[in-house]
Amino acid sequence: MKTMEVKVQRYLPEQHSEPQVECFSVPYDDSTSVLDALNYIKEEQDSSLSYRWSCRMAICGSCGFMINGEPKLGCKVFLRDYAAAGTVLIEPLAHFPVERDLIVDLEQFMQHLDAIQPYIIKDSANGVTEMMPHRQTPAQMDKYQQFAACINCGLCYSACPQFGLNPEFIGPGALALAHRYNLDSRDEGQAERMPLISADEGAWSCTFVGYCSDVCPQQVDPAAAVNQAKVLSAQDMVMQLFRRNK
Amino acid sequence: MTTNKQKVRRSDEPIWWALFSGGGVCFAVFVPAAIFFLALALPLGWVELDHTQALRAFGSMFAVVFAGAVIALPAFHAAHRIRHTLYDLKFAQRGLIKWGCYGLAAAASVYALGAWLLQLVS
Amino acid sequence: MSYKPVLGRTWWLKNPAFKAYMLREATVLPLTFFILCMLAGIYSLLRGEASWLNWVAVMGNPLVLALNALALLASLYHAATFFVLFPRVMPIRLGDKKVPDNLIVAGQWAGVAGVFVLASWIFWGVL
Repeated sequence: MKTMEVKVQRYLPEQHSEPQVECFSVPYDDSTSVLDALNYIKEEQDSSLSYRWSCRMAICGSCGFMINGEPKLGCKVFLRDYAAAGTVLIEPLAHFPVERDLIVDLEQFMQHLDAIQPYIIKDSANGVTEMMPHRQTPAQMDKYQQFAACINCGLCYSACPQFGLNPEFIGPGALALAHRYNLDSRDEGQAERMPLISADEGAWSCTFVGYCSDVCPQQVDPAAAVNQAKVLSAQDMVMQLFRRNK
Repeated sequence: MTTNKQKVRRSDEPIWWALFSGGGVCFAVFVPAAIFFLALALPLGWVELDHTQALRAFGSMFAVVFAGAVIALPAFHAAHRIRHTLYDLKFAQRGLIKWGCYGLAAAASVYALGAWLLQLVS
Repeated sequence: MSYKPVLGRTWWLKNPAFKAYMLREATVLPLTFFILCMLAGIYSLLRGEASWLNWVAVMGNPLVLALNALALLASLYHAATFFVLFPRVMPIRLGDKKVPDNLIVAGQWAGVAGVFVLASWIFWGVL
């Protein structure tokens, strides 16, 4: 059986003052994913290794890591692809505080998601009281479908250098989610979300590096969402000038 | 249920982004031909443009395309990119960088458009 | 006690995607040189024939020509990266259907070609 050198960044706060890389030898075949490798290490070699995972089929978004410096889902990446080099390096998701080994503190990410009000906002007086179902055509659903595919894995935040430089930037995931609701025909909350989008740390921190869209496992294209949000924000600024002058 | 309604200040970025976008279109569509004909073909003698012809052309109504689309808007595009790249490189003097960049672009624009207007009316 | 990594000034050297981004941003440096040449040209034009001829001569200096040739390459690289971003920022819909991205990109390149044709007509009298 082939073996690969799997290097993993360790950080045990009670023992280390800073992270360090540890090497493990992992047997693998064509179907061994990086997540499988981590499970093997934990079960057979070092039970103290800590990392997040759940569905192992790229839908829960739990197992995000930096794999050879690129943000990826561990269950979606295979050791066979690193056979040429014979070694692979697994580090925690970039741009987040590291709590223990490969586990990062995602609180900032969660706060940004929550801040943009990720739910249907309907102000109409008869919206709730009549209890009528929302009707939406396939064309209306198509407008926001792509942006609704997000699994909150956080890879885009690890990819985004602007978030890395300034964690106050609400980031690609939150902005894609805000845009998803703004484009939803059932939603009436664009005006409520606009102040956060139009702030310096809203859409305007983005410089369209575009790497977030490259790493997204669901092809959400958050970069497109953020920059479409810039257009809406600019339009909102112009319209506000006319509203004030009335 | 709405979350906390703290006042978040609106960024003035749309103004600069609009200029950057317009300048980006000009940089992509007009500048290549301008570089080829004015900075390569002319000095190399592939086109003829003596002083009288140049002065007349610069004083025409159409030269506003030159002043605006080859100089002014691309200058703001360059200023915006230089500004944000300096931020990316962690230079902390954000205010100085911002007004320095746009100030120079504005100066270049005023000069080019001003010179064109003077020629147009003289 | 969590460990908080800090992004260093050379973060962009760590990844090909970031290096490509910085290269794209750097296209404005040769552009700035070209703009300065044009501003010098306006200045020389307005000062009279002798100074205009001097400007044309300086523009013919090999180093200046090389930098402006680089500016031409930079403008085309900028165009290539800018044109693919446009349909992502402003997707165009005709009725129910989305206009395909490559059509929008092709349309923008057609604009570049059109400007070259127009400039050829202005300078060489050919259409």
